[in-house]
Amino acid sequence: MTREMSIKNADFPDAHERHWKDAELLLDKKRLANADHLYGLSAECGLKALMQAFGMQVTSFGHPEGKDKVHVERVWQRYESYRWGHPFGVRYPLPLKNYFSDWDINHRYSNRRAFSKERVESHRRGAIIVRRLVLRAKREGLL
Amino acid sequence: MTIFDQIVPELVRICREHATLMERVQPVIINRDLNGRVRFVLNERWERDEKAREELSAFAKVAKDALGPHAYPPEQAFIFESDEELKCLLSQSPVFPLPGHEGIFVIDRLPTEGDWGKIEPETDVPRVVFFSIKGGVGRSTALAASAWALAEEGRRVLMVDLDLESPGLSTSLLPEDRRPRYGITDWLVEELVDNEGAVFNDMVALSELSQNGEIYVVPAYGSDPGEYVAKLARVWMPKITEDGGHTAWSARLRSLLDALERRWKPDVVLIDSRSGIDEIAAACVTDLGAMLILLFALEGDQTWSDYQILFHYWKTRGAAEKIRERLRVVAAMVPSGPKGGGEYLGRLRERAWDLFCQELYDRLEPEVLPGEDLFSFDLVDESGPHYPWHVLWDDSFSAIQNLHGVLQEVDKARVQTTFGPLVDGLKTWCFNDENR
Repeated sequence: MTREMSIKNADFPDAHERHWKDAELLLDKKRLANADHLYGLSAECGLKALMQAFGMQVTSFGHPEGKDKVHVERVWQRYESYRWGHPFGVRYPLPLKNYFSDWDINHRYSNRRAFSKERVESHRRGAIIVRRLVLRAKREGLL
Repeated sequence: MTIFDQIVPELVRICREHATLMERVQPVIINRDLNGRVRFVLNERWERDEKAREELSAFAKVAKDALGPHAYPPEQAFIFESDEELKCLLSQSPVFPLPGHEGIFVIDRLPTEGDWGKIEPETDVPRVVFFSIKGGVGRSTALAASAWALAEEGRRVLMVDLDLESPGLSTSLLPEDRRPRYGITDWLVEELVDNEGAVFNDMVALSELSQNGEIYVVPAYGSDPGEYVAKLARVWMPKITEDGGHTAWSARLRSLLDALERRWKPDVVLIDSRSGIDEIAAACVTDLGAMLILLFALEGDQTWSDYQILFHYWKTRGAAEKIRERLRVVAAMVPSGPKGGGEYLGRLRERAWDLFCQELYDRLEPEVLPGEDLFSFDLVDESGPHYPWHVLWDDSFSAIQNLHGVLQEVDKARVQTTFGPLVDGLKTWCFNDENR
């Protein structure tokens, strides 16, 4: 079912991809703080794309509801609930370690000097893990 | 309406009709997903090329018309990936070239991790897989008898029961009080949580059967199967690593075999495979570095029809050349008596040869010069993998549950008569350096 191209409508796979690409561009330019935000957003959108494929209910605009209206540091755990409810979910595991446990949407208010290279690299690794799952889902027909 | 088996022929046709475009955007990877739907994976530079996008869109409409429910709508027909990702994709399996088209490949996404088309290289300790398409052909009995015969010559034999869904090998060679506490299934489950150390040292038992050599038995489950069905449901799972990568079921099994070999230092490893064509059998036949794969066969149309499916798969996936030299047909449960056995064996040999010629042997061409290195054998050439080693039908060995007692009572001459050709073939294959 195609969704009308409105800015109100969620498109998790596309959002996951654009956040990732821009995060990489920013990292390349050593814009650590904003790269860090976007790695988190990319991972969040990727996981929500998968969660929706696994059965997550969304509003008429495609947005998650209730307990699913969270950012990446909590989505990492919410994801598991949906994964186990789907026959193909076993093929899309996340590691135990939550790479975004120290990520917070409120860090968008923080001073840029608070973002170390190590922090950003760790979040990038987490985003890559999610990216691999999304790629797999596209190849296997889940997305 | 297009069905699954028409996907590849239709792709061959439409790619031929759009050859110029296909050549321009190569490599083209045709991704056939878990539901059997096709998408085209291309280099991401074509995503930004407007003219190419128009042509690709027209091609996608043609594909949708040709493939029907097995294609995505044109607006979802393409996945664009980087150079690096494309290279990585092509190095994975199962992947095979689209027949008749250079630069176009098909990747099959399968629900299971096992892959018949990927052949692991041989290991240092000879590993022999006992395989059959159907159950009930005496495969496990022959394995147990082979282990005994090899051990009687002073060899140290490690027997591994990988027929996890239908285990029983260990019960045939170990009396109840000698069975180890754990088995293969326990190791595979514990290894998922890095706890394999808790079971490794108690999953092998020494059979008392042999006086001259040693037979170490690794059962599917131990003296207490525990929650076997629940454990079995997990053994095929990949293990997830810290960075989100995963270790496939077959790689985990390989690491177990390597560890067992390091610990017990056998002269030969005999592996009882699961019968049929499925992911577990796939791992046993192709992914364990077996130097010899014994294909048990009863003479009959079903046997050859089933093996034809398997051989044809290897051939179309480009795996035939790697696997064929390691194969050997075993004629199972051959009726005894010169007339019965002779006719039966003759028919079986001919059917096997027909199939090997059709699928695995190199075709002999008139213009091929003498001395060319072709993998091809005459019907009566005993060195050919089609030429069966045989196992006679013998009532005494028909009940595997009783094999431990039977082997203790039956004289060696009878074992030699029943299993001799198989055992002799094994000895020559495993311990003659020319074959390795």
